[in-house]
Amino acid sequence: MDASQLLKGVLDVAVLAVVRDADGYGYDVVRRLRTAGLEEVGDASVYGTLRRLYQAGALTSYVVPSDEGPHRKYYAINDRGRSVLEDSTKTWRTFADTVDGLLTRPEVAA
Amino acid sequence: MTAATDSTTRQAQDYLAAVEHELADLPTEDRSALLEDLAQHLDALAAEDDDRPVAVRLGPPAAYAADLRSAAGLPARGGVARAASLGMRERLDAVLATPAGRRIVPAAREVGRLLGELRPAWWVLRGYLVVLLPCLHELDGVSDFPVPAPLDNHLLGAVLVVAAVAGSVALGRRRMPRPLGLLVAASGVVVLLFTFVAWDRSEVSRGTYLGAAGTSPPEHAIGEYPLLSRYGPVTDVLPYAADGTPLEGALLYDQDGRPLQVGFQEWWADRCVRVLEQPLAADGVPVPHSFPQSYELLGLDVDIHSVPVSPGQCATDLPRPHVPLPVFPAESATD
Repeated sequence: MDASQLLKGVLDVAVLAVVRDADGYGYDVVRRLRTAGLEEVGDASVYGTLRRLYQAGALTSYVVPSDEGPHRKYYAINDRGRSVLEDSTKTWRTFADTVDGLLTRPEVAA
Repeated sequence: MTAATDSTTRQAQDYLAAVEHELADLPTEDRSALLEDLAQHLDALAAEDDDRPVAVRLGPPAAYAADLRSAAGLPARGGVARAASLGMRERLDAVLATPAGRRIVPAAREVGRLLGELRPAWWVLRGYLVVLLPCLHELDGVSDFPVPAPLDNHLLGAVLVVAAVAGSVALGRRRMPRPLGLLVAASGVVVLLFTFVAWDRSEVSRGTYLGAAGTSPPEHAIGEYPLLSRYGPVTDVLPYAADGTPLEGALLYDQDGRPLQVGFQEWWADRCVRVLEQPLAADGVPVPHSFPQSYELLGLDVDIHSVPVSPGQCATDLPRPHVPLPVFPAESATD
């Protein structure tokens, strides 16, 4: 199964979950997602998702000057983002449990 | 900055520009936010110890832009592709309907009116150019400006110009079906462009007309071939003494004491690549007016057509052409 198609559907919740732990700039979010196991995540998809969540009011952003180079734009989750994440988490749990149930039922395979 | 980081920076700039091009149709706010993120991302990638090209690490710019759009919930580039399938008129109307477009309309109308008034002048000009253009291609030493001289004949040129201008004006005054009219206009523009190219390469721009036009001659060579004989561009001068001895390293000057400048010889009979190695003066500055010009074999494996050089193909010594030298009366030689 093509994991990248599944990833598209859950990238919002994954990105929100990553920035809930700690604020992050774009590339930082990409790396944290990959470290967490989503190795196929595309750089552009993450940046696009951050932009959309920011536009939707689920994230705030601020700029931090960097010693090593140009400034970095950090994204932080806000209350709205946290509530979106909470709803999405519930949806995901229900969905994952349903699919799990389908996959583990022996008579389905028969 | 090392060559490697230089190349990385250029790659990043090219990538950013390509993505920017792909996002050109987006609202400014979205586009600049996405590009700002990408610029920072490229900086971060450049700082990593990974020498794969940017386009390999991030994928082709078009795919990157498409992913960005899709993830950001922005319309795909298809919106623009749909516009491309519309007719020219519909697209123009769409542009003119924008606020910026509405400001363009009065200005465009004014330009259109001005162009309309200039049309007769254009008819005359294109008629003249049709005759002038082929004449500029002849390197015959006969000036083609202002009156072109086909077959070295100014009178013939004048007659042809009058006929061509009359024909062009008659053509311009006729109402033509739109496609034919566009075709005539397009050919006119092509003729104009060719004239500029031909002009730049012609003897007219090389200074043969300068004296007549009263312009002061330039200090430096014009174009690739600053010296023309009636046979074409001069790339070397081979001096001989009166007794027929070939002279080497002769310094040549023109009638005003200026160093003689010739063109660079790119093509050789043996097709081998050579470089110009002019003798150096005591101050280390090359002396370009020392004749014959000294060309040295570059010793490349391929010739000027990038074909591998076969052994013995390149002549190491350039033989002087055999020339019949005048024989002077014996008394003037002994005087």
